Amino acid sequence: MLKRRRARSPALGLVGAGILLALGLVALLAPWLSPYDPHHRASRPFLPPSAGHPLGTNDIGQDIASELIHGTRVSLLIGVLAAAVALSLGTLVGLVAGYYGGPVDVLLMRLVDVVLVVPFLPLVILLAAYLGPGMWNTVLVIGGLAWARPARVIRSQVMSLRSRCYVVASQAMGGRPAHVLSGHVLPGIMPLALAQFVLAASHGILVEASLSFLGLGDPVRKSWGSMLHYAQLRGAFLTGAWRWWVLPAGLMITLTTLGFTLVGYWLEERFDPRLRGGR
Amino acid sequence: MRRFLAGRLVQYAVVLWLALTLNFLLPRLMPGGPAQFLLGDEAGRLSPELKAAIMSELGLDRSLGHQYLAFLGRLARGDLGYSLARGEPIRKVVADRLPWTVLLTGSALVVATWAGVALGTVAAWRRGSRVDVGLVMGAMLLASMPVFWLGMVLVATFGLHLGWFPLFGLRTAGATQTGWRAALDVARHLALPVLTLAVHNLFGTLLLMRHSMVSVLGEDFVLLARAKGVPARRVMYRHAMRNALLPVATHFALGLGFVVGGATVTETIFSLPGIGRLMYEAVLARDYPVLQAAFLLVTVTVIAGNLLADLVYPLLDPRVRREARA
Repeated sequence: MLKRRRARSPALGLVGAGILLALGLVALLAPWLSPYDPHHRASRPFLPPSAGHPLGTNDIGQDIASELIHGTRVSLLIGVLAAAVALSLGTLVGLVAGYYGGPVDVLLMRLVDVVLVVPFLPLVILLAAYLGPGMWNTVLVIGGLAWARPARVIRSQVMSLRSRCYVVASQAMGGRPAHVLSGHVLPGIMPLALAQFVLAASHGILVEASLSFLGLGDPVRKSWGSMLHYAQLRGAFLTGAWRWWVLPAGLMITLTTLGFTLVGYWLEERFDPRLRGGR
Repeated sequence: MRRFLAGRLVQYAVVLWLALTLNFLLPRLMPGGPAQFLLGDEAGRLSPELKAAIMSELGLDRSLGHQYLAFLGRLARGDLGYSLARGEPIRKVVADRLPWTVLLTGSALVVATWAGVALGTVAAWRRGSRVDVGLVMGAMLLASMPVFWLGMVLVATFGLHLGWFPLFGLRTAGATQTGWRAALDVARHLALPVLTLAVHNLFGTLLLMRHSMVSVLGEDFVLLARAKGVPARRVMYRHAMRNALLPVATHFALGLGFVVGGATVTETIFSLPGIGRLMYEAVLARDYPVLQAAFLLVTVTVIAGNLLADLVYPLLDPRVRREARA
């Protein structure tokens, strides 16, 4: 079989990193960048774009540009936190399953299979509806269901690390599993875990947007998804207002997801042994 | 093969059992208890006596084990419960809406698979070229878009500005056509939703087909075919593509599992009376029994899709049959 040619130039990864850097800056500087407080009525509702309101105002007279800028904070935060929860769980399961092997491994991997079969978005919707809206609920629901894929990827890497000399040496010198895992195995899977983290964040941001769009997001913190929820409730996409009310928020979500995906694939290609040519 | 299938069956049984048990436990674990979730905001306004009467009517005053058995028994008889918000048995609500969802997502699946196979083949054949990079990047960009937003933009562009397609719904208001004219009307209404879903799902199929095609093109029989002078086009379609289609067939079977649950936000945008829209309405009305029934239905179809994929693959690929037997 020919070598799988997957390595694309790092340029795309850099583009993704650039996008994420820019979005991170916007999130950090949101209070200084946005012309108005997104939670206060700034003007009359349903205004078209003007010098004072570059993207007009929404159904209750809040400045859409300010909502968009502040939304960067909320969307990024939830996506990253959900990814952190997913990766913590996934790394733990992957480490334990890959290191101990045997029945523990079989049991945990069966659990991974089960989680992967359950329909993701419907279950997220069901749980979010029961738990009620709130940022932490969203984070926990998404993170608590998205750990299976990272767990599987990390497990396979742990299994290949387990037989390396330095790991065996540490075991032979009487290192306890906790020591061997945290001191020798964990550093070996970090790059791969980072790639999985970034991909999970891109997924998390899309799922958060869907939840908020359905009205299950945090009612206090406005994300891009919840902006679109109100735009849809008021039928903004059936009037000319879609160009400034609907278009920008979706473009921001797309850009963010794309940024994370590009960086994630690039990292995965560099660090995932299964994707490197040859083997 | 048999052992493999048996393992899978056990796995799916566990998934189903977990979904059922989750449905049973969720309302009972929540603060306020199950009455709160079955009756909604009404619960606070009822007198304690009336509440107790309702609890006993619903069997909620008995032991958990008893309730669990009764819950499973009702489901086994196909009783999905009653929606107080709608005043209808949930089974009827679901049955009315299921066909439209299946029509929408089924059409989108066929379109996405067809386009993904065609474009993935081209990308693999011209691997490394600008066409390849452009196709993969384009599909990745489309997959990064939230599907509900994509739907909104398509409606605004092709419905609002160009006026080519209706904006929402399934039929023209006040339409009285029958037969094929009615079918045409429905098709015009479904065009944009199908396009939205298909575009969103294109990336997975395209990438899978490209990847599969690239590895098949590296096989010896392709080299042999080229060496004996078979024209490139024929090698691509007759030799390589047929073999590369195998993983796509599995992907398609798995996709069938999502025909019920895959269109929640799309149906919401286009106001289509399907299962997805039902979930959205249930969220807005805090109609928990309907949400649970929808979740259960989606889980069952996803399991069926997975099982189909497991069964179909060995039928298509004799190598898998042989390996599995060995």
